[in-house]
Amino acid sequence: MMTVLEITKAVSSGAKTAEQITRESLAKIAELNPQINAFVEVFEADALAQAQAVDAKRARGEKLGALAGVPVAIKDNILYKGHKATCCSKMLENYVASYTSTVVEKLLAADAVIVGRTNMDEFAMGSTNQTSVYGPVKNPVNTECVPGGSSGGSAAAVAAGMVSVALGTDTGGSVRQPAGFCGVVGIKPGYGRISRYGVIAFASSADQVGILTANVADSAKVLEVLSGKDVHDSTSLEAPVPAYADLFTDGLKGVKVGLPKGFLDGLAEDIKQKMDEAAARLKELGAELVEVDVPHAKYAAPCYYIITSAEASSNLGRYDGIRYGYADNAAKDLNAYYEGSRAPFGLEVKKRLIIGTYALTSQRYEECFVKAMKVRELIREDFKKAFEKVDVLLTPTSPTTAFKLGQHDEDPLSLYLADLYTCQGNIGGLAGVSVPFGKDAKGLPIGVQFYGPILKEEKILNAAYNLEKGL
Amino acid sequence: MEITKKDVELSAKLAKMRVSEQEAVLYEAQLEALFKWVKELSAVNTDAVKLTNVNLSAHMRKDVAVSDPALAAELRHAFDEEQDGCAKVKKVL
Repeated sequence: MMTVLEITKAVSSGAKTAEQITRESLAKIAELNPQINAFVEVFEADALAQAQAVDAKRARGEKLGALAGVPVAIKDNILYKGHKATCCSKMLENYVASYTSTVVEKLLAADAVIVGRTNMDEFAMGSTNQTSVYGPVKNPVNTECVPGGSSGGSAAAVAAGMVSVALGTDTGGSVRQPAGFCGVVGIKPGYGRISRYGVIAFASSADQVGILTANVADSAKVLEVLSGKDVHDSTSLEAPVPAYADLFTDGLKGVKVGLPKGFLDGLAEDIKQKMDEAAARLKELGAELVEVDVPHAKYAAPCYYIITSAEASSNLGRYDGIRYGYADNAAKDLNAYYEGSRAPFGLEVKKRLIIGTYALTSQRYEECFVKAMKVRELIREDFKKAFEKVDVLLTPTSPTTAFKLGQHDEDPLSLYLADLYTCQGNIGGLAGVSVPFGKDAKGLPIGVQFYGPILKEEKILNAAYNLEKGL
Repeated sequence: MEITKKDVELSAKLAKMRVSEQEAVLYEAQLEALFKWVKELSAVNTDAVKLTNVNLSAHMRKDVAVSDPALAAELRHAFDEEQDGCAKVKKVL
């Protein structure tokens, strides 16, 4: 698939039409989706109509948007009016969006073409894409392996060349981890950079829309389109949006890259080796490497599972058969009605709702929820102090590369540990980007991650761009 | 932090969900492992951390009866139907 920059150039010059590019994307999806299962629905007619509208706009001599003719996939938890948004759950199997999310509005305003919705872990709860009611996604690099999750369909769609851009959401690493597993770029901007209006909530204090592309410059371009204050989302931030790609530098002279103490302990050897190579490469590019201490970051994963499950138990309360979701109309009384209507939740979702509810009971509230919130503050403080000394932090994206489908089914806690490096960004509200950096001995992609402070996405993008350029 | 099957069943009930016997047994084991891990947080000294956003009482508010007749009428009109001076909500069951 052509890159975003190649497509916009070709469409604006007339070298290719948006319709041609859209048809190429649709053909690739038709060819590969039966094996990969990245898309759960393709909006063929709408996509072609949008592409033709872009071509007509050009023919009239009108100015084209920043993403003119670029085929984009959206995760199945992002609303697009008149289209289904199911969170890959039986609970929402017939839900049709009654309004369009801000991110999709912005894509359409930029003349992008929305080609379909992608597979995901049910309600974004998972890191393998195996909890989807539509079945698992296969990693395009090795179809015996998971693509990561929860935005596994979005990452696989980009990795397989079906689309140039896919949107995901990232609550604990759900954009960056699948990006790492599939060998693409995945950015989760800092909390508040992109509006969450029209994104089905999982854990509101951590959810963020993220972007998956084949290269860093494309992510920068899409981030520029999607960022900014939105009156529909009070948590979105009022701050100027830079032209990120214009801030890329040739080399990293004067940039301080933090290496968190102890972050490589216990890592798989080939990932550790790649991390060392990445650090050496950054140094060659002119960066100064500085060891930093973020002592509480190791507690991010347990904090994450308590806080996000607690928030989910509240957010998913709306699926009661009255407000949203499946309705058990055969129930004989109110309690049976609620329980019957909530029965379609899958095993993982039910488990997280039980965890969250338990953590919020009066007996456990202080010990679990309040404690996790307090530790979260310490983690945030650690990162804040670290960013007083350095511009970005370098970490692995995941402790392992993509693993086999079903490999961790018997030990879900080991899967939770896989979020170790990514959930720190959500707990800390940081901006994070995963960029491919070589492969392991089995030929599976390895991702490295840069973290930066909130509203400083340009710093992580520039570091990632320079690292990518040297490959 | 010991988790029992009864805790699982009670939490599921509070979350308005039904869990089968098999699910309860599965979740008990998985939650036991998870909360053992969560227990590690107790080793962190958080005495100096002041939270501003987890005070439940700060989010509670009293039900206040509307005494202004015009406002009461306006609120009733927001509903599809009225009956005996009250807003009528849709029948659920």
